[in-house]
Amino acid sequence: MRLPNLLPPLYRPTPQQPGLEPRPPFPPLPATAPGLPSAPVVFQPGQPVGFFTDTTLCIGCKACEVACNQWNQLPAWHGGQNTLSGNSYDNTRQLDGTHWRHVKFIEQFDGDRRSTGRWLLMSDVCKHCVQAGCLEVCPTGAIIRTEFDTVVIQADACNGCRYCVTACPFDVIEINPVTNTAQKCTLCYDRLQVGLTPACAQACPTASIQFGPIQELRRRADQRVAELRAQNVPAYIYGDESMLGGLNAFFLLVDKPEVYGLPSNPRLPSRNQLPSWLWSGLSAVVVGLIGLLSFRKRRMDDLAAARPAGREQAPGPQPGPGKGVPQ
Amino acid sequence: MIRYNAAHWDWLVYLEMFVAGVAAGAYATATLLELFGRGRSPLARVAQLIPFPLMVLAGLLLTVDLARPERFWHMILQSETLRPMLKPWSPMSVGSWLVLLFPVFAFVSFVDALIGRGVFALGGWNQRQTLHGTLTGLLWAVVGSLLALAVASYSGVLLSTTNFGGWSDSPFIGALYVATAAVTGLGAVLLIGALTRQADAEDVVGLLRVGTGLICWQALVLAVFLLTLGLNGWAVFLSGISLLALLGAIVIGIVIPLVVRLAGRSLQPGTTALFAVLVLVGGFLLRYAIVIAPQASARIPGAS
Repeated sequence: MRLPNLLPPLYRPTPQQPGLEPRPPFPPLPATAPGLPSAPVVFQPGQPVGFFTDTTLCIGCKACEVACNQWNQLPAWHGGQNTLSGNSYDNTRQLDGTHWRHVKFIEQFDGDRRSTGRWLLMSDVCKHCVQAGCLEVCPTGAIIRTEFDTVVIQADACNGCRYCVTACPFDVIEINPVTNTAQKCTLCYDRLQVGLTPACAQACPTASIQFGPIQELRRRADQRVAELRAQNVPAYIYGDESMLGGLNAFFLLVDKPEVYGLPSNPRLPSRNQLPSWLWSGLSAVVVGLIGLLSFRKRRMDDLAAARPAGREQAPGPQPGPGKGVPQ
Repeated sequence: MIRYNAAHWDWLVYLEMFVAGVAAGAYATATLLELFGRGRSPLARVAQLIPFPLMVLAGLLLTVDLARPERFWHMILQSETLRPMLKPWSPMSVGSWLVLLFPVFAFVSFVDALIGRGVFALGGWNQRQTLHGTLTGLLWAVVGSLLALAVASYSGVLLSTTNFGGWSDSPFIGALYVATAAVTGLGAVLLIGALTRQADAEDVVGLLRVGTGLICWQALVLAVFLLTLGLNGWAVFLSGISLLALLGAIVIGIVIPLVVRLAGRSLQPGTTALFAVLVLVGGFLLRYAIVIAPQASARIPGAS
């Protein structure tokens, strides 16, 4: 006996329609590729290290998030509430003070949600920019660059002013409600110091997150891009040296940065600083001139008013003793 | 790009920016009166009483706003080495030093004004021999005024030096803050002068003339700020509560005071007080709109 299909229309398998070909899956990483969890990563202090995240290999398992939360002892709850996002299978929603890794689920479906569609999955993280806006503006010196060229917030020095939250072009940083300090991915600084791979890269089952020396990662990324492009996948690297001096956590993407919630042209906050100070200075000069000229005008009015009265020698009230200020 | 993480710079921050702006503007007004006022201007002495208490309040507001207020001193001293912590390329670091230094000048002027009123004396620093009107006093006031204007501008520069849509879209927030601080500071001086009836009529006339010029300058800088925002900035500022606050700031803080000035040429204490209250309310609304708008447009976590 055939049971009735109780699934809502969205989840029913749809018959293949003419002209609507399913998108081919991204080619897998060759089994011999370096960067797989079993491959040892060799690095030394003083050597820039980072992440290369190949989004075409991410399966959205969120193992990286779990490993990150577990190692860094981050609370699993979202700001005290374990709520569902209600608009996606992704309930982490964003990077913030308690989510240092976030697997984004990007759903690209046609309007009818039946024909072509795909999921883009991306494990997002702090980019550890070579030119880091957060580090630049931090007024307490709590944000430092480590010997591994990563960017770390020292929780014991941060006073929670939140300037870094506004300065980050990637919307990565937020106040951790437990420590009341700004927090983000440290690229597992404590693990790096003892030669361990960061927890997320260690846990990633598909080698979507690859950890290692930046030079090696960039070489590997270029190789992967070439491989994908040969198969007509529009892959490219987001975060090369032209972007903020290079992102030490960079990504292989197959769609526009905005689709992944990334800025296409991230910039340092300091770009506005000099013009802003200069315009402020000009405004201060104008304010001073307005004050000066207004009182000057009053002085001239006093003089003009005094002349008809025949007060040639003492125009207007005299300045007080000790003033001696030219008017 | 949609931002999910708000800065949470809320009422403590825009109140601090307003209060510090009034303090800075009042100090500059006091200096102006000291330079050009009638003799030992009583209004200048009233004006010198305003900045210090307001800067103390501003410092407290900033401290309380920190997520870790007990670490406020990390802005000034390195927490580990206790060496001075100054990053000239960080507006907040520069601002922290300004908020520390300007009250020193404001405090001396405050004490001098109290001594001038005969509240107390400190040895040779007594009612008959104050700094006010002397060359030393003038130099002190001028340097203090420069610091005051820097205090007025740094928070605007700070907002522009971010990557927050709306704030970072224009480099004119600092310039606007200077203009607003000057107007509101002058308004505070006029208001307290009117309430305490210690204002020389000619000083009031002079300040009202300055105020009119400053309001026009404020309007011009505001127009430039709005014009340079671009599409993204307009989307941030010209919607919702921010638009209302901005319109309120323009109508209450610019249009009506100008009308009051043009219509009421005869000097009435009530008119002066009304003028002062209007520019103060307008200045506050402007600070509110600028601080809140970009944060209100950031997406609230959990919302679809």
